[in-house]
Amino acid sequence: MAGVQLVNLTKHYKRGSEVIRALDGVTLKIDRGEFVAVVGRSGSGKTTMLDLLGLLLKPTAGSLVIDDVETTRLSDRERAHTRARKVGFVFQEYNLLSGLNVLENVMLPQRYVKDGEAGKRRAIELIERVGLSDRIKHRPTELSGGQMQRVAIARSMVNAPSLILLDEPTGAVDTETAQQLVDLLKRLNREDQVTIVLVTHDLDIAAQASRQIRLKDGKVLADEMVGEPVPA
Amino acid sequence: MEILRNITRHKLRSFLTISGIVIGVLALTTMGALAENFNALIDGGVKYFGSSIQVGPPDGQAANLLPMSKIDEIKNVEGVQAAFPGYQFQAKPGGAIVVSFGIPDTITAVDPDENNYSALKVTYAEGRGVTSGSHGEVALGSTIAKEFKKRVGDTIELPVRPADAKPDFVNHTFTVVGVLNETKTAPDTFAYINIADGQMLLRDSLPATLRGSIDVTQITEGISVYGKPGTSLSDLDKVADRINSQVTGVKALRPSDLVNGFKSGGAIFTAITTAAALLALVIGGLSVVNTMFMAVAERVREIGLKKAVGATTMNVMSEFLIEATLIGLIGGLLGYGFGVLIVVSRNTLFAPADGSSLFLITPALTIFAIGFATVLGAVAGVLPAWRAARLDPVIALRND
Repeated sequence: MAGVQLVNLTKHYKRGSEVIRALDGVTLKIDRGEFVAVVGRSGSGKTTMLDLLGLLLKPTAGSLVIDDVETTRLSDRERAHTRARKVGFVFQEYNLLSGLNVLENVMLPQRYVKDGEAGKRRAIELIERVGLSDRIKHRPTELSGGQMQRVAIARSMVNAPSLILLDEPTGAVDTETAQQLVDLLKRLNREDQVTIVLVTHDLDIAAQASRQIRLKDGKVLADEMVGEPVPA
Repeated sequence: MEILRNITRHKLRSFLTISGIVIGVLALTTMGALAENFNALIDGGVKYFGSSIQVGPPDGQAANLLPMSKIDEIKNVEGVQAAFPGYQFQAKPGGAIVVSFGIPDTITAVDPDENNYSALKVTYAEGRGVTSGSHGEVALGSTIAKEFKKRVGDTIELPVRPADAKPDFVNHTFTVVGVLNETKTAPDTFAYINIADGQMLLRDSLPATLRGSIDVTQITEGISVYGKPGTSLSDLDKVADRINSQVTGVKALRPSDLVNGFKSGGAIFTAITTAAALLALVIGGLSVVNTMFMAVAERVREIGLKKAVGATTMNVMSEFLIEATLIGLIGGLLGYGFGVLIVVSRNTLFAPADGSSLFLITPALTIFAIGFATVLGAVAGVLPAWRAARLDPVIALRND
């Protein structure tokens, strides 16, 4: 079944003789098209969970199924390919390449998808959808923080992934811009039926998701539906 | 495109790095061209002396002269197909003996038939070769013709009268009947005359007191001996040994000794020049390693991002390898270009009076110079690219 399933997902680190339980036996099921906010204090395991969902980290134990594929047994190469096709990333610091313009930044993930249907047209369409048609040839240094994050969102969707992972996407912008970004995410979530997992400290932002997962010390403290995403 | 942008992102650093490669390839191109020119000379010697046996006077004989009758004796030795007399004279006598990368201008008296036996064939850019029955004809090598600005139909005084010649200095007027195609070896600086004219010059060269008492038609300076077509070097050595044992009053040199002497001389020269240039290039390569490590350190977040959006270890590695290879290729092309410019300038614009060339650019040298720089760039990029490819994306993405 399409979606994401975490079964007893665990990530432990060793720091000297001490074992850090960054994520400690988390079991969750996220259906396709859900808009999930992950909240919790620093060190609660939010980012570790995001990195595991994005296949950037290998779990110490447990199972992670993305779109019916058990990912924990995949090789590094297969994980990279899965990441390219099924997962989109958005970071707090945008992580746009300064040498590339908006269109080239959006098209970056297409390099790693050989049989991807998404081409330049798809990238241009996404840039239009995030409202940056007039900035298509601009370099990141010529954009505001909000615009850069819109480019990052377009980039995350260019390979038509089923899962978008956002790590504090509104952390570096003002409140008004943050709300515009959340509205954009809600619209994309609704129109494309893409699953969104958003890690945030901002409870106002989290409240706008359809589901909120609260982590503490690497465990799920609460998992509650907070309603349908409000249409943007 | 992005790779080119990455290279130009830090213009000064890239310029300095590429300059290191440029200087190395420039050195490799010029030194290599020097070695190639020298090797072309050597190859001519190898070809000529590898297909004939040089017979001269026995060890200890003061005068470099042999009775002409020895030719018939040598022809009777088993394995000998043909034997020719020969004479050589300085074309520009009286000049100081200096170290040279070329062969000095030389008047060479040969039997025109010898060209049918020698492995080093001469061909004519214009005109023809001298004939045995003629008198006062000369065929000039390409370099000597250029030096004296002579063409077919012109005349030339040989040997060339030195500026401080004594009143009794004798030379003769020769008509140029042919100009040879360039061979990059000995014939280029030779003025070929026939045997009869060679004997005339030999007479001129003898002390006045001996001129009347020696019949120059009965003596030769040396004898070139040829085996049957296709005779191997080792078989020619055996023929030389037989000449030494069967013919008295002569010394036949084993062709393999001469060939090996030429080859080892060429190899040493090539090794010295190429090693010096390669050293410069390897130092340039180290600057590529340094630059690429700096590029990796600066682009840690970029690498993390690329991995996050689906780049495999190989994708990241190849991006950095291509960048390093491109630096090597650009440096190689520029260095080779500048090297050719210097070589061509020296060979044409600043050519010496004798018209000789000091450098020779060959396809092999071109491929080696540019190819080595490119491969060096790629090799220099391996470690940095490996480091980039092995970066943990989680750490890389959050790198400050």
